[in-house]
Amino acid sequence: MSVLGVLVRQLLRFGLYAGMQVFIVGQLSLFGLGWCFLYLGFVLFLPLGTPIVLQLLLGFGMGLAMDISYDTGGLHAAAAVLLAYLRPWVLRLLTPRDGYDAQDTVNVHQMGWQWFMVYLLLLVSLHHVAYFFLELGSFQHPLLTLARVGVSILFTSTALLIVQLLFFPVRRTRS
Amino acid sequence: MRNLIAFLLRFQGVMLFVLLEVVSLFLFITNSSYQRAAFFNSANAYAGAVLARRTQIADYFRLDELNRQLLADNAKLRQQLYPPDFSRREADSLPVGRDTLGHLIYRHLRPDPSQALAAATAPGLGQNAKPKKPNALARPDTLLLGGAKLATHDADYPLVAARVLNNSLRAVDNYLTLNVGTADGVQPGLGVLSAAGVVGQVKSASAHYATVFSLLHSKMAIAAKIKRDGTFGSVKWPGEDYSHALLDYIPRQNRLVRGDSVVTSGYNAVFPEGVFIGTVESFVKEPDKNFWTVHLRLGVDFSRLTYVYVVHNRPRTERDSLETALTAPEPAPVKPAKQPTRPTR
Repeated sequence: MSVLGVLVRQLLRFGLYAGMQVFIVGQLSLFGLGWCFLYLGFVLFLPLGTPIVLQLLLGFGMGLAMDISYDTGGLHAAAAVLLAYLRPWVLRLLTPRDGYDAQDTVNVHQMGWQWFMVYLLLLVSLHHVAYFFLELGSFQHPLLTLARVGVSILFTSTALLIVQLLFFPVRRTRS
Repeated sequence: MRNLIAFLLRFQGVMLFVLLEVVSLFLFITNSSYQRAAFFNSANAYAGAVLARRTQIADYFRLDELNRQLLADNAKLRQQLYPPDFSRREADSLPVGRDTLGHLIYRHLRPDPSQALAAATAPGLGQNAKPKKPNALARPDTLLLGGAKLATHDADYPLVAARVLNNSLRAVDNYLTLNVGTADGVQPGLGVLSAAGVVGQVKSASAHYATVFSLLHSKMAIAAKIKRDGTFGSVKWPGEDYSHALLDYIPRQNRLVRGDSVVTSGYNAVFPEGVFIGTVESFVKEPDKNFWTVHLRLGVDFSRLTYVYVVHNRPRTERDSLETALTAPEPAPVKPAKQPTRPTR
């Protein structure tokens, strides 16, 4: 795929994730506690070989867009940058026995359920813990915040899993 | 030099990570301060347009609820319009007041000063026609917001009706976005009310959108008083439930009654005096505190906030300039900008 094609594709993904988040998913809440961070899918499902600098910048851009929509200053951006920074570490941790193939992507059909769920839950949990405790600015209501973190992890992971099952190709594409 | 470049390349990820984190945390921490360009929040023109469109779409799905809210508001206003028959009946005895020198004033014997002035300046017009005509200026239309009457037609201090575009409930610091901005006369620092009571305070405004600190914000404190006995306190949101707040600084020796109304005291010059905030739901005396811990049920249901009003508190500029003049070294000679054309009530 050409550079321009990649660029257009990623821009479209950015717009789709941000739009879905602001228009639809951000309005929902689970049990009055949890919130869905669907936009994390943009960072989580980037190609495996994305340079770290690019990942960080994309995470920051996405986070800032959310901050502007939800008036949180830089809270989403801080947590999303942390997520983008931790992603290569988690990927390295989960390397299959014979390394990643060139065409490997973050895809539940290709990488298997076990690999995908560990990857998703680990990164989403780290992000949510960072997000909710940063938002609190202190450890005043630890139980309530932990409940929020737990319910949000459930919500976000389920939503991202549904996105994977619906929109990601079952067969490997030749690219 | 080559080593330096190699070093920078090797640690580019870490360094960019630290840089971006510092930038975002800086933005996050300074978010609650007032003096901030309206770009990095939802009053930004692009974000505002997106949120306005979302509201437009979402409104179709809750037209029923919106209509019911407006009907309820209408019913309340109609009740104001048609008071019971005996409410305007005058007492047998004359109401007696005192003027600034302590002399008694018999209001019924003396004409209203503004009408007397008008009659004096225009003697040609018959004396008989003047006092009969209801003076539209002296009796401005009022709107009942949270139990306080506010004038609607007042060129100097407009009451701006606004639609809530975005509203968060579950964050630690919640904000609202409104579809009015500086073009409609909204400025940072103004109060925001709804028909049911206090909502918040404007944080920043762009040309057509404004961001508002919700009452549900960890740094928001509203000067309040208990309506029954006038005890002053301060309303804060503890950050758990959007229908409840705390009333602080009520001394332990005071008696409290469940169901008491708590209204704004008008001390912080943001809200007019007497606007409803909530009712006392429960109170406990904690052993290590000098004050009651009072739980309020908020009058405003933040989960279905639709139409709000931005208010200008009248004496605000005057009061602020007075309070700053106390510390100013050499006050400039102040002359009244404009003779008041009508008595203020």
